[in-house]
Amino acid sequence: MSEPFKIIICGEGGQGALSVAEIVARAAWMHGKKAVCMPYFSTEKRGGVSMAYAQIGDEPIVYPKFSEADLWVALSQRSVDRIHSYLKPDTKCIVNSFLVKDVSTLEGHEVHEIDATRIAKEELKKPRTFNMIVMGAMLRLIPGLDKAAFSEALERQFKDKYERDPSLREMNQKGFDVGYELIK
Amino acid sequence: MSSSLSFCLSVTLNPTMSEKMFIIGNEALGRAARAAGARAFYGYPITPTSEVAHYWAKQACSEKGVKDKLVFLQAEDETGAGFMLIGGVLAGTRSFTATAGPGHVLMQDAFAMAEAMRVPVVAYINQRGGPSTSTVIYSQQEVNLACYGGNGNGYRVVYSLATLQEMYDYGIKVFNTAWKYRFPTFLLGDGYLGKMMGEVEVYAPEERGIKMEPTEAYMLERNRTRPMAEIMPEPNYQLRSVDGVDYDCYRNCLNMEEQAMAVNTEIKAAFDLVAPEIIEYEEYGDQDADDLIVAHGIVSAAAKVAIDDLAKRGVKSRLFRPITLRPFPVEELRRAAKTAERIIVPESADNQLARIIKDALCGHIQAPIVEYGRPCASILPREIADLVTSKK
Amino acid sequence: MNDQDIKLAFPKCARLASKPHKFCPGCGHPEVLKALGFAIDELGLQKKTAFGVDIGCSLLAWNYFNLDSIETHHGRTIPTMVGFKKANPDAICVAYVGDGGAYAIGAGHFLNAAIRNENITVIVVNNAVYAMTGGQEAPTTLPGMKVATAPCGADQYYMHAPELVRNVNPTAFVARGITTIQVGLRKMIKEAIQHQLDGKGFSFVEVLSQCPLNWKTMDKPQATFDFLEKEMAKTYPVKYY
Repeated sequence: MSEPFKIIICGEGGQGALSVAEIVARAAWMHGKKAVCMPYFSTEKRGGVSMAYAQIGDEPIVYPKFSEADLWVALSQRSVDRIHSYLKPDTKCIVNSFLVKDVSTLEGHEVHEIDATRIAKEELKKPRTFNMIVMGAMLRLIPGLDKAAFSEALERQFKDKYERDPSLREMNQKGFDVGYELIK
Repeated sequence: MSSSLSFCLSVTLNPTMSEKMFIIGNEALGRAARAAGARAFYGYPITPTSEVAHYWAKQACSEKGVKDKLVFLQAEDETGAGFMLIGGVLAGTRSFTATAGPGHVLMQDAFAMAEAMRVPVVAYINQRGGPSTSTVIYSQQEVNLACYGGNGNGYRVVYSLATLQEMYDYGIKVFNTAWKYRFPTFLLGDGYLGKMMGEVEVYAPEERGIKMEPTEAYMLERNRTRPMAEIMPEPNYQLRSVDGVDYDCYRNCLNMEEQAMAVNTEIKAAFDLVAPEIIEYEEYGDQDADDLIVAHGIVSAAAKVAIDDLAKRGVKSRLFRPITLRPFPVEELRRAAKTAERIIVPESADNQLARIIKDALCGHIQAPIVEYGRPCASILPREIADLVTSKK
Repeated sequence: MNDQDIKLAFPKCARLASKPHKFCPGCGHPEVLKALGFAIDELGLQKKTAFGVDIGCSLLAWNYFNLDSIETHHGRTIPTMVGFKKANPDAICVAYVGDGGAYAIGAGHFLNAAIRNENITVIVVNNAVYAMTGGQEAPTTLPGMKVATAPCGADQYYMHAPELVRNVNPTAFVARGITTIQVGLRKMIKEAIQHQLDGKGFSFVEVLSQCPLNWKTMDKPQATFDFLEKEMAKTYPVKYY
C-alpha cells in the first residue's frame, strides 16, 4: 500500500485555507483518487488562524490527521509557526511571500515563495483570485493530478456562483493559470 | 457541496439511487436519516454537529420535504430539543436529533426519561473536547455520558463509529435498532468524523435489502399492533379502556421504591434479553499476535493503519474494536483477550473505554492492560505503533 | 350522592375510578381539571387529546382523566407536547404545568413555545408556591409571603406570565382565570383549545388556584379564599389579555 500524499495548509481566517484543502481533495477524488480533507476548526470563527489537512492516495484513507506533510502551505507569518512541526526533511513548502517575510525557520527545505496576494490585487485586479493562484502553484507539487481534474472540481465547487456570475469562471481560471506558472 | 441528489422513500419510485459522493460526515448523517425515512428533527445548533441541522432544515423546506411532511424544529435549548424528540417519537414518528458536548449533557435529562419509558429516540452525537465547553474539535470523552448518562443504569444502545461510510450506514441502522428494541439509540462519532470530507456511498435501504422497522405511536394510536404492555415497564403504564376506546397513559413519577425497582428490573431484563442480538464488534490484524489493541471509534481506524504498518515491519498485532459500547461485547472481548500477552487501550479520554474494558475483563485475564489516555487529543497511527513496539 | 349524581357532576372524560381524587382537601387543582374536562367534552375532543402533565401537584392529574396521557418533569411537558404536535398536527395537545415548572425551571421552554407560537395549549396553575415539594418559593410567590425557602418573607419580585406572553406574541390566546369563577374558567379553557383547533397557535391560560396546605389555611376556608380572591387576584388580574 503506497502512502497517501499529505498536504497541510494554514492561513489567516478568511484567506480560504479550508476551501483550498477541500477543492484540492475533491479534485483528486473526481480524478479517481482516494482523498480526505479535514479542517482543524476551532472556536475562533473570526480573526484566528485556520488550518486544514488533505490527503490523496490510491487506497482508502481512514485517518484524517497526520504528523508530517509532503506539501506544506503557509499563507501568513503566524501560519509558519503554527504548522512548523509538520515539516520533515523532504517536505516541499509554499509560502505567500506578501505576508511571510521571514522564512529562516524553513531553511533546508524546498521553499517556493509566491506573492499571491500582490498578484491577485495588482496584476489580476481581483483580490479574490488569491486562492486560485495558491492552488495553481500547489498543483505543480501534487503528484498524479492534472489541470483538467482541477477545472472540473472548480466547476463543482462554484456551481451556484458560476450560474449567477459566469465571469467568475474566467477569473478563477486565470488566477489558477497564473499560479500554475509560478512554479516550474 | 453536492446537493443534486434527492431521496425517495419508496424504492419503486427511485430504484437506483446508489451514488458515491464527496461529503462531510455530518451531511452523511443527514442523508442517512432521510434515506431511513426519518420525518422529524428536533435540535439545537452546536459544533461539531450543526451541519446535520443545516441539512435537515434545507430538506424540510424543499418541495419534496414539504410533501413528505418533514419536521424541522430548532428548540430553545438541548433540554427542550430532547423532550420535543420524545414528543415526536410518542406520536409515532421516526425522529432524531444531533448534538455534542455541553448540549449532550443537557440532553441526558430527556434521554434518561426515554430510557425509563422505552422511548426509541435517536441521537447523532459527535464528541468534542471537555469538560464543559472546552474545544469544539474532538475527543472521546462522551463515552461515559452516552453509555451511562442520566440517573438510570444505562439501558441504551450506543454505536461508536470509525469511518465516514459508517456515518451513513449506521445513520440508517440506528433507527431500526431503536424501533425494533425500543431503547434510546445513539451514534457516537466525533468532531473529526463530523467535519471531515471524503467519499461516502449513499443508497436507499431497500437497495441493500434493509427493511425499515415500522413505527407505532405511543399515544393516540388507534390501530395498535403491538400492545404497549409488552414494552413498557408495568408501573409506568396504564391502559384505560372506555366505551371501546383505549387510552394509553404513561408516567415515570412513582410513589414507591418497589415500583422504581420494578421499572429498572424490567428494563434491565428487556435489555439483557436483546443485547446478544445488538452487540457488534470487529477484529482486525493477526489473530495470533500477543499484543491486543482495544480501541473504539476513529482511534480504532488509526489502530488499523498502525497494524498494517507494523505488519510490513514484521511486527504482529491485532485489534478488538467494540462497535457497540452499550451493550458491550463482554464475552467476545474476554475470548479475544484470553490469548493476549498484553492489552493496549488507546483512547482520546482518560479511563472511559478502559474502565469498561477493565470491568469486562476483571478476573478473567492475567495480561497487563496498558492504558494510553490522551484526553481530547488525536491519536495518530504512529503513536499506536510505538505503543506496540515499546518494551513490554 | 348516588352514582348517577356523581357521574353528572364530573366531565364525561373524567375517570371516575380515580375519584375521590388524590389532591389535598381544599386544593384548587381538581377545579381546574374539571373545567378542562368540561371544555374537552364540549368540544368533543376526548379521543383526540394528548394530555401532558408535569411534575409537582399537577402530576396527580395523570390519574384524573380517560385521555391519552404522558407525565414528564420540570416544565418539559411543554416541549414534549410541542414535539408531539409537530409530528401529529391532528392531535390536540394540552400541557398542564405548575408555576414552578412553567415559570422557573421550564421557563425557557414556556417562553420560547410562546415566542414560536407553537400550536399547543398550556394551562399553568398558579398557587404562589411550590406545593408538592413542601411550600418553597416560586416565581409567583407574593412579596413578603413566608414560605419554606423564604422564612423571613419573599422578595419583591414576581412573574406576570400572561402579560409577558402577550408581550412576545401578539396573536396568542392569553387569559388568566381563577378557580372560584368556574363558568368563566371553563369558557377560557374552551376558547384556548378552540384557538388550537383553529390552528391559530399558542394558547395559554394561567389559573389562580388555592393551596390551603402550604398557605397554612387548612382549617380556615375564609382565609384561603380571602388570600386567593383578594391578595392574589390583586397582584394577578383575572382577565383576557
